[in-house]
Amino acid sequence: MARVVILGAGISGHTAALHLKRRLKRAHEVIVVSPNADWNWIPSNIWVGVGRMKTQQVTFPLRPVYRRKGIDFRQARAVAIRPEGEADSNSGSVDIVYTDPERLGDEERLTYDFLINATGPKLNFAATPGLGPDGNSLSVCTARHAEQTAVALEGVIGKLQHGERQTLVIGVGHGACTCEGAAFEYTFNVEHELRARGVRDLAEVVYLTNEYDLGDFGVGGMSFAQNGFITSSKMWTESLFRERNVRAVVRAHVERVEPGALHYEQLDGTKGTLAFDFAMLLPPFRGADLKAYDRQGADITADLFASNGFLKVDADYAAKPFEDWRAEDWPSTYQSPLYSNLFGVGIAFAPPHPISRPRSSPEGTVISPAPPRTGMPSGVMGRVVAHSIADRIERGETAPLHTASMASMGAACIASAGAGMRTGSAAAMTMYPIVPDTARYPVSGRSLKETTGEIGLGAHWTKLLLHYLFIYKAKGRPGWFLIPE
Amino acid sequence: MDDAARSIAEAPLPTRRTLRARSSLPYQLMRFVAFNLRMLRMVRKGHH
Repeated sequence: MARVVILGAGISGHTAALHLKRRLKRAHEVIVVSPNADWNWIPSNIWVGVGRMKTQQVTFPLRPVYRRKGIDFRQARAVAIRPEGEADSNSGSVDIVYTDPERLGDEERLTYDFLINATGPKLNFAATPGLGPDGNSLSVCTARHAEQTAVALEGVIGKLQHGERQTLVIGVGHGACTCEGAAFEYTFNVEHELRARGVRDLAEVVYLTNEYDLGDFGVGGMSFAQNGFITSSKMWTESLFRERNVRAVVRAHVERVEPGALHYEQLDGTKGTLAFDFAMLLPPFRGADLKAYDRQGADITADLFASNGFLKVDADYAAKPFEDWRAEDWPSTYQSPLYSNLFGVGIAFAPPHPISRPRSSPEGTVISPAPPRTGMPSGVMGRVVAHSIADRIERGETAPLHTASMASMGAACIASAGAGMRTGSAAAMTMYPIVPDTARYPVSGRSLKETTGEIGLGAHWTKLLLHYLFIYKAKGRPGWFLIPE
Repeated sequence: MDDAARSIAEAPLPTRRTLRARSSLPYQLMRFVAFNLRMLRMVRKGHH
């Protein structure tokens, strides 16, 4: 009997667990280690953050699903990997510390035949002084954060109703952040909510971002073929900002957040201060705090992980200038180059470089988005790695690995711009591939047929449909595997 | 006015017809179907 241990139960880890158990049945053991008891459909957190949904609508307890599926669940945090085992054992192992209230603080060492690192990101609020719910700004990264943010937004709306002017700043809280799409979504949902409540005229809504131009979204922007012209996501996004009267501060790195004011630096070196009554600023990400040790107990963390804490996989990590970046730099099997039974998926794998052109200020501050790898690509990675491992367990070590490079994978991004079955709106974008490939698509690096953008009520319905479909799928309900990642 | 503000001020505004189309139920139903089919096609293309 083989044992597969999965660290993390987010989109990629949970997808991998469900697919593995479906393939391996009861003949082999699948263990999921996650510090959280609940699964969270994170894309819908923005609706929790404006009070349109409750936490219970975007989360569900993992334990009953895993019990039904025969998956062993440990509510615990992984702290160390021992890929070579120890002096008296050849099996790799992982050290965990329980966060389960019934076993809080207990430590355990789990051996494995295959290990998937799907820990997701560490929300690095500490990178910017004063950033985050424990500091002076808000977040929608977790359902709990989003609920706190909804309460704060309600307070702002109350003041607006009493005739007080309010400034709402929404965006990213560091120059190296990713997930600009989520900040964009939250901006327009808040703006929509203010209009729906009849208080928009007294509110100033400001979007603050590390993107060089609006519409970059951490993927270097997109080109669309529309009405006989090739247009840019920059123009398309700016049009929405103009229509909704949202101000933007671009090319910005937040240096610190104080109560009611944030200080930022821009790419050209200028410094600014923005006073706010409400600030929702996303944090930068780094890898989970995982150490790695060899058989003798020597620290090999720097061999296994990149300096940002993400697991190195089959990518080309050689430093090279932007002009020399190639689609082939991106990983396709997500296997560690050092240990063939170790994989990294979702946000936990180390990307070889950003997708947007890297830029820094005269002071050397990096102000450009990190590459997004959430949602659809995360699920696909979880699925292909699950099939690779199942094949190797069933057919032996020579079974070929499944592949899914972000340079040959498309993604859909539905950026909600307001909720409501009749009044909702969203910006729906598809891109193929996620990582531009100028060798295949010389005009813009992406297929002009498959890379599209449109705004409308129908896109909001799609976002709502995906909410219900993915929660159904994640609960492992009948036919779950027919819903593509 | 900074660069971002100038760029936003010069961005095209949707016409009344475009705004109507964005919230028209029959038209959006068609767009909903078309977008989901496109998304499915793209997902299939990227899966191995």
